[in-house]
Amino acid sequence: MDALIPKMPEILVALTSFLVLFVILGKFAFPPVTKMLDERAEKIRESLEKAEETRVEAERLLEEYKVQMAEARAEAGKVIEQGRTVAENMKNEIIAKAREEAESERTKAIESIRAEKLAAMAELQASVADLSVAVAGKIIGQQLSAADHAALIERSIAEVGSLHEN
Amino acid sequence: MEMIGEGVKELLHELSVLTVAGHKVEAGQFVLTNYAFFLLIAFVVTVLFFMIGVRKVSLVPNSRLGSMIEMGVEFVRDSLCIESMGPEGKKYVPFIGTIFFYVLFNNLIGLIPGFKPGTGSMGTTVTWAVLIFIVYNAIGIKKHGLWGYLKSFWPKGVAAPIAAFVALLEIVSQMVRPLTLSVRLYANMYAGHVVLGIFSIFTVMLIEASGVMKIMAVLPIALQVVLYALELFVAVIQAYIFAVLTSVYIGGALNTH
Repeated sequence: MDALIPKMPEILVALTSFLVLFVILGKFAFPPVTKMLDERAEKIRESLEKAEETRVEAERLLEEYKVQMAEARAEAGKVIEQGRTVAENMKNEIIAKAREEAESERTKAIESIRAEKLAAMAELQASVADLSVAVAGKIIGQQLSAADHAALIERSIAEVGSLHEN
Repeated sequence: MEMIGEGVKELLHELSVLTVAGHKVEAGQFVLTNYAFFLLIAFVVTVLFFMIGVRKVSLVPNSRLGSMIEMGVEFVRDSLCIESMGPEGKKYVPFIGTIFFYVLFNNLIGLIPGFKPGTGSMGTTVTWAVLIFIVYNAIGIKKHGLWGYLKSFWPKGVAAPIAAFVALLEIVSQMVRPLTLSVRLYANMYAGHVVLGIFSIFTVMLIEASGVMKIMAVLPIALQVVLYALELFVAVIQAYIFAVLTSVYIGGALNTH
């Protein structure tokens, strides 16, 4: 029972030591630790906020790059399409020109051939007339009189002359 | 059997409040008692622990001692103060922290063989419990005014006779708080040491016995290891209970309804 009765020296030591400890810890121990804990919490909160901001910014940039990339692709496609159209037009022009030139060459060649043909025909006709006159003279010369002969020559000359005129 | 009786008697004498020289404390005598001596040792250990540890506390943890202090203070702030008192509780971290760590170091130091817990005497626990009683009532009066604080004991919306009865019960329970708070801590610490002491006596008795009984000493030794672990747990849990009840009392005084 004696143990349950508080002893004055113990009361004094317990009270004094507690109050001194409260002052020491309250001044030098707890405030710096709680301050540091608050600073750390603030730092972590700031870091998380910053990380979130960075993430949002990164996403925004990615989105922007995606849009730019799509625009660039569209632009490149347009350029390619334009190039293709220009090339196609040039091709068609070249082909048309070539065709035209070929056509012109062909026409010229036909013209030339026709002229050559006509000249040859004329020459051939002249030669045939001469030869015919000669052959006819030889055949007929022996039986025709001198007057017939002369008339025939005259007519042949006239015929040849009209032939030449043609 | 007589040997056990003698041993227990000696143990109880050893665990009673004596002067550091081992004599009985006479009434009105101002002398350093055995428990007060260990209380002062715990005081020095607590101060050293914090003074060395706080220097190692940094924004980026780099020391175990610093981390231990951080964890301890964070526990006191969040789990004891804010949990019981709300955001206002931050203000009371030094008070609750001093109670928690001082009680804890006293309890733990008492577990070192040959040492006693400063909290193992009624003188210490009653002093602190009365101090806590004064502090939390003062906090309540400061916040609500004397009349406002006293009114909080009177329940609202209840018939007057019942309200008076409840108020009486509330006042009695308030008055009993210092006693329950002090006896709980003292009894746990004291009883734990009595149990450990009795098992030690039992072990010594068996070792000194002859024949098969000598071997039987293994049993109380094994039990004593288990009891030591239990006492370690009790030391921590009692410090927690003492501090958490103080927080709850302050919280109750702050947030009366």
